[in-house]
Amino acid sequence: MESSIVPISNFQLAFTFILILITGGISSFLKLGLLKSLIWGTVRTFVQLTVIGYALTYIFQINNLWLIVIIITIMCYIASRAAVKRTPNVVKYPTVLAFLSLVASTYLVGTIVTTLIISPDPWYSARIAIPIFGMILGNSMNGIALSLDRLYQEARARAFEIEAMLTFGATPWEAIQSSVREAIRAGMTPTINSLMVVGLVSLPGMMTGQILGGADPREAVRYQIVVMLMIAAAVAIGCLILVGLSYKKLFNDDGGLQSYVLSSRK
Amino acid sequence: MLFEFKNISYTLGNESERNIIVSGAVDRGEVLVVRGPSGAGKSTLFRILSRLQPGSGGEVFLQGKSWLYIPSIHWRINVHYLAQKPALFDGTVADNLAKPFETRVGGQRRLDKNGAKELMEQLHLPPELWNQDARTISGGEASRLAFIRALLVDPLVLLLDEPTAALDEPARQALYLVLARWLKSANRAALLISHNNDYQQLEHIKYLDIIKSPERRD
Repeated sequence: MESSIVPISNFQLAFTFILILITGGISSFLKLGLLKSLIWGTVRTFVQLTVIGYALTYIFQINNLWLIVIIITIMCYIASRAAVKRTPNVVKYPTVLAFLSLVASTYLVGTIVTTLIISPDPWYSARIAIPIFGMILGNSMNGIALSLDRLYQEARARAFEIEAMLTFGATPWEAIQSSVREAIRAGMTPTINSLMVVGLVSLPGMMTGQILGGADPREAVRYQIVVMLMIAAAVAIGCLILVGLSYKKLFNDDGGLQSYVLSSRK
Repeated sequence: MLFEFKNISYTLGNESERNIIVSGAVDRGEVLVVRGPSGAGKSTLFRILSRLQPGSGGEVFLQGKSWLYIPSIHWRINVHYLAQKPALFDGTVADNLAKPFETRVGGQRRLDKNGAKELMEQLHLPPELWNQDARTISGGEASRLAFIRALLVDPLVLLLDEPTAALDEPARQALYLVLARWLKSANRAALLISHNNDYQQLEHIKYLDIIKSPERRD
């Protein structure tokens, strides 16, 4: 068994050209109109990943706590923008709420994992912290986007029930509870489902990466277990905070539903 | 005066911007029938009065106290809006009748089961309905159920938006009979929208006409 990483030389990397030809061939043969996107995407993949490779090398060398915090916070910001953009049912939504819930869930779960479970030396070791926080963030981002979209969708569909609850003297929180529950459930379900099939249907990217990197599969599996559970926790916290911060946006100052919840989507 | 609204103003539609200003009042035992053609903004007026949506001006008084000094949660119980389309929740008919008592404010009281069953009988609803899934009952049954629930909320002022639209003649008669009795029994009043002239058995009726006017008013 190989015990260390098999490096890919520049010459070998150039053979990925074959893969691009296959994808491009299919696109032009079927006139999918994806050729331009494919070329641009390929260039971006090469450039972005090369840059991040050098950047990470540099960051791992410096290994400064504050630099890591700044990088992770910027990642949270980019993720919150991406999450809010991916919600067709949501109108007039402040990105700052998504940012706050991502920061809270990512830092809370990430810190537990790096200090208590993996605990490298120093505990904020960039080599551990950045990939761990990144994985948490990527998954929380998907979770909160699903949750947020579902919250607005449910509120719209159940506007009538919500208003009836209001006429019974319900607070906005009481009136919208069923929608809130559905929203959090929608955000968490993919993660919970992935706990069921992991290792059977797919080998997760992180574990695969470690194995390719020469790690003992039994060790890689232990990391993967931690990763799966931390993602589940982070998604749960992220969705809960986000929905808790967001539901009020659906109501006006007097506790009535906003008119855009009652009118049809434009 | 039990309930009074002064210069409530609101606009209808996005383009034509018809501005409406209305005032009115009801005292104990009275019914104010709000009349006007479809689309004149009768339902909108009710929604504003019950604080489900904001108007652009005016003030409402409940027992002489301005709505500015009553929290919306309490206001909506006491100035209770019954929408034309009955809102039904997952669960049985009994679950639906208990809904108003599940909130923190409403939870201070319990569902009066005997009272509810009596009202069902008075409105010609069979007792078997009690344990039936509320999503499976008919439109006419649903609107009577919502009416009963509104009475159980025990408001001071009931805003009824076409409560008989889905009902046949005997059921209409029964509904207004129950309403008349309800109005007499305590310090209560009602506002009513109805496109049928079917409410004549009620006493102390007053009228408010909302005129559909294309010109703007200042």
